[in-house]
Amino acid sequence: MIQKSRVNRAQLFALLLPGLLVFGMFTVYPIVRLFWMSLCDMRFSSMLTQPFAGLLNYRQVFGDGTFWMVFVNSVVYTLITVPGQMVIGLFIAVLLNGIKRFSVTFRVINYLPVVTSWVIASLVFRYIFNTEGLLNHFLWKVLGVTSGNIRWLDTRWSGLSVAMILGIWKGIGWNMVIFLAALQQVPKDLYEAADIDGCGAWKKFVCVTLPGIRGTILFALIELTIGGFNVFTSIKMITGGKPAHQTDTLLTWMYYKAFSTGQFGYAAALSFVMALSLGLLAIVQFRMMRSREA
Amino acid sequence: MKRMNAARVRAAIIRYLLLAVGTVVFTLPMLYMISTSLRPNGALYEYPPRFFPKPEALTLENYDYILRQSKFYLNFLNSVLVSVSTILLAAAVASAMAFVLGKFKSRGTKTLFAFIIITMIIPGTTMIVPQFELATKLGLVNRLWGLIPFYVAWVIPFSTFMIKGFMENIPGEIMEACWIDGADVWTVYTRVALPLASPALASVSIFNFLTAWEEYPWANTVINDNNRRTLPIAIAGFFGQHQFTQWGYVFAMSVLTLIPVVLIFILCQKFFVQGLTAGSVKG
Repeated sequence: MIQKSRVNRAQLFALLLPGLLVFGMFTVYPIVRLFWMSLCDMRFSSMLTQPFAGLLNYRQVFGDGTFWMVFVNSVVYTLITVPGQMVIGLFIAVLLNGIKRFSVTFRVINYLPVVTSWVIASLVFRYIFNTEGLLNHFLWKVLGVTSGNIRWLDTRWSGLSVAMILGIWKGIGWNMVIFLAALQQVPKDLYEAADIDGCGAWKKFVCVTLPGIRGTILFALIELTIGGFNVFTSIKMITGGKPAHQTDTLLTWMYYKAFSTGQFGYAAALSFVMALSLGLLAIVQFRMMRSREA
Repeated sequence: MKRMNAARVRAAIIRYLLLAVGTVVFTLPMLYMISTSLRPNGALYEYPPRFFPKPEALTLENYDYILRQSKFYLNFLNSVLVSVSTILLAAAVASAMAFVLGKFKSRGTKTLFAFIIITMIIPGTTMIVPQFELATKLGLVNRLWGLIPFYVAWVIPFSTFMIKGFMENIPGEIMEACWIDGADVWTVYTRVALPLASPALASVSIFNFLTAWEEYPWANTVINDNNRRTLPIAIAGFFGQHQFTQWGYVFAMSVLTLIPVVLIFILCQKFFVQGLTAGSVKG
């Protein structure tokens, strides 16, 4: 303890300073600024005059039918892609956990979509789901389950489905890796005890595995929920929000309002509502898992 | 006992079968991308579409076209510059913060760390409007290096969190010995903490590299100049350029963009898994 007092506080602060400056300026300031912008009548065309407008932007956001449509899109996207990637990722992890050979090979191949950039992956999916593309040909001419080319990218739910399939495909690898690591931490003697009690594979999974990886499930749930609402590039590249914003999500709609119509105030209010809701949602998710633990 | 073994073998076969089928289905999109990049551009409108090109039609003409464009090298170089600068700066500032926050615990440092972590809840893209305003004020719009501070700020929370975990594991006795020897904070950080935390720095840097290498929304918002584009913007631009997308060119460029990423991923697999699982298992 005596030695601790020799530690030079100024030097400690100097080590913190560069990081704090960058973080403060480019992350914290924008968050604070976002809140302020959401209260002002800010437009791209007149960035110098920003009259205080109170809750005007919020009223506009919540009174806007398009907002509620893209809100539903984002919620559906998250509700489908988050459990989708978690269940498939966990399933693959369980399979991988029980084999000895080729485990690394399977892991590497299944992780490749994660490191593929969103722009590239989105273009590949757009190409596959093109009206004259490979999938339609396969469904119609090879399998014969459809009676013509489906215009996947031209309607609300089929366009969103393409983005959701991409989202799940791209997220499975991440889930697989973190669940595999979690499975390896579940104590072996618990499984042996379950064996002695005559539990089947499914019973063991429900009674031993799932409780054992609860922390990781919570971690994935929070991370992926944020990720689901963060969906942006795939929508931009696959449908571009067409037709008439029906496939837009919260962020692509926000981006359109900000950079195509110049309504910065509206975009800021929408962003702030999103950031706040996700924060609250993370707390709720955290609490839910905690209470189940008790 | 024998019955037990037979059941085990059957279970193993089912596992391998499911994994093999799943993996094949999983890789189809990437294989299709590669196969499209290897066929003549005109043949992309051939009907019926084929998953594999006819062997006699295989060609490298798309790659030849991309690699003969000086713009591609420029975009590639831009991406390398931005990504490498980001990982170096992020490693420097985040490791310094992680060292202080992990090794000198007080109410102040704990609060600061909690605050930094909480910001991770906010999706990065929601801040794009105030960040755009900030970039305009600072004259960072349409500047390649103007991307770097935003990327560094973006990766600081995760990097600090990861490296801090490693710093905390440095035994207190080592630190005590350093203080007794009269070492100052700076010396302990550079000579003791950094070398010991180098595995964490490696895995953090790989993640940061990927983040910067593939970042699209922000770069697309602030960079307009063709010559200052990074690779993702260049690919996206290629896609929207003509009325009929030249898919062969798009995917040839995509494959070239993915090669460094896949190489890094395969070579640094160990650090990858380490980085991914650091936060998740502790819960």
